[in-house]
Amino acid sequence: MSLKRDPAESAFTFKGGMLPMTVMELTSGDPERIRAQLAGKVSQAPAFFQHTPVVLSVEHIDEPHLALERICAVCRSHKLLPVAVRGGPDPVKQSAWALGLGWFPPQELRPRSVETNPVEKPAEASADAEPAMAASSAPIGGRIYRGTVRSGQQISAPDGDLIVIGAVNPGAEMLAGGSIHVYGPLRGRALAGIHGDRDAGIFCHDLHAELLSVAGTYKRMEDIDPRMMGSAVQVQLMEDQLKISALT
Amino acid sequence: MAKIIVVTSGKGGVGKTTSAAAIATGLALRGNKTVVIDFDVGLRNLDLIMGCERRVVYDLVNVIQGEAGLNQALIRDKRSENLHILPASQTRDKDALTLEGVETILGSLSEEFDYIICDSPAGIERGAQLALYFADEAIVVTNPEVSSVRDSDRILGLLSSKSRRAEQNREPIKEHLLVTRYNPNRVDDGDMLNLDDICEILAINLIGLIPESEAVLRSSNQGVPVIHDDKSDAGQAYADTVSRLMGEDVPLRFQHVPKRGLISRMFGGGGRR
Repeated sequence: MSLKRDPAESAFTFKGGMLPMTVMELTSGDPERIRAQLAGKVSQAPAFFQHTPVVLSVEHIDEPHLALERICAVCRSHKLLPVAVRGGPDPVKQSAWALGLGWFPPQELRPRSVETNPVEKPAEASADAEPAMAASSAPIGGRIYRGTVRSGQQISAPDGDLIVIGAVNPGAEMLAGGSIHVYGPLRGRALAGIHGDRDAGIFCHDLHAELLSVAGTYKRMEDIDPRMMGSAVQVQLMEDQLKISALT
Repeated sequence: MAKIIVVTSGKGGVGKTTSAAAIATGLALRGNKTVVIDFDVGLRNLDLIMGCERRVVYDLVNVIQGEAGLNQALIRDKRSENLHILPASQTRDKDALTLEGVETILGSLSEEFDYIICDSPAGIERGAQLALYFADEAIVVTNPEVSSVRDSDRILGLLSSKSRRAEQNREPIKEHLLVTRYNPNRVDDGDMLNLDDICEILAINLIGLIPESEAVLRSSNQGVPVIHDDKSDAGQAYADTVSRLMGEDVPLRFQHVPKRGLISRMFGGGGRR
């Protein structure tokens, strides 16, 4: 418990955390091709490339030996910080460890999106540990949260849809790998498709959102058509723009 | 076993200490053995509001650190023998509080008192978290303005996640909303949030509505909790709040601008006191 603070007794505490993380899903192991594509991305979204931690997913590459060191160097030169590798055969795992990176087993149950866009994450990941209600999450994928999500709370469903039965108050943040549904007023932030799923959407009964984002494309409250405020809406990504339409 | 009630808000200056003093006094006047604890170590104020600043010898930190016994530090209120005050230390900071120390003190007080009122410091850090950690009920003090409502919302999040009841998966803390400094004239003018909007966002049970009142500042400076001023609107509103806290059903007053009679309209006076 964080209130017990005796510096002589403990230098740190372990805490479970669920931070939104950008996964760089590689379809090629060629560092030069990665370099070329990254150069293009940097010019599109320079704000994203600020020592952003990324997980390199190599599960879709059929090469036993990857030039992992060179790939990492390319990433770092574009201000992406590889922190871990996901998937790949044993030699890849060994070289990840040798490079001081973590290794995650491949993720099989997640639907693949064609292109993974960098996730714009305008919010800080400094939310409190989730309240006890968090225990009601489904084992895989989606998650149902009942109750008011309050300022400073961050509720996430990294691998599926997030459904909130209640209000999302100003200063609260919803994160979902899939879509976000709010059966109540949405007054906080909602970020759907955080791993780049462009088909994800946001649905709510009463729109007052501070921020809406689907797969990294976002609208601030200021950008939202005031006529949509206070009504039931759906938010979808269409031609790289967020489209907010009445839910009828 | 005493009922432990924390008076908290997140934001500073909304009336936590005033409310803690008034509610503790009100509970004591109804015959409940009550102690009110100042958790605002380093910014000691409760003793001033309670008018006992000249009688402080030992404080909460002395007791926690074993330098004084609990009974040495408790100050008996001049006006009500059922009421005791445990002052904060002015010379230390909030790191001097320990969770175990607070638990021990609350444990001993529980055997002797019916109600323990914890006056929380502002903020959401350690001091505020310690004040709410052991609570059975919480009174969240909110002013009718957006920043106060947002901070109260934040505190409500902590109450449901960072308390002992939450950590032990027990029945959650019973949360009450106390709206203070409410001025119906300014609500009508659109300068202040109205009560319904506050209740809608915070979505907890309303326990009281305290109107903005000159009586509050006056009684603070005199060191007499405003609930003693039973002629004042704020004093009556706090008395209503205490009744509701004790489970009585009392109609809500002071929500609307009182209709002024012909004479007071003609002569322009008759402002509320």
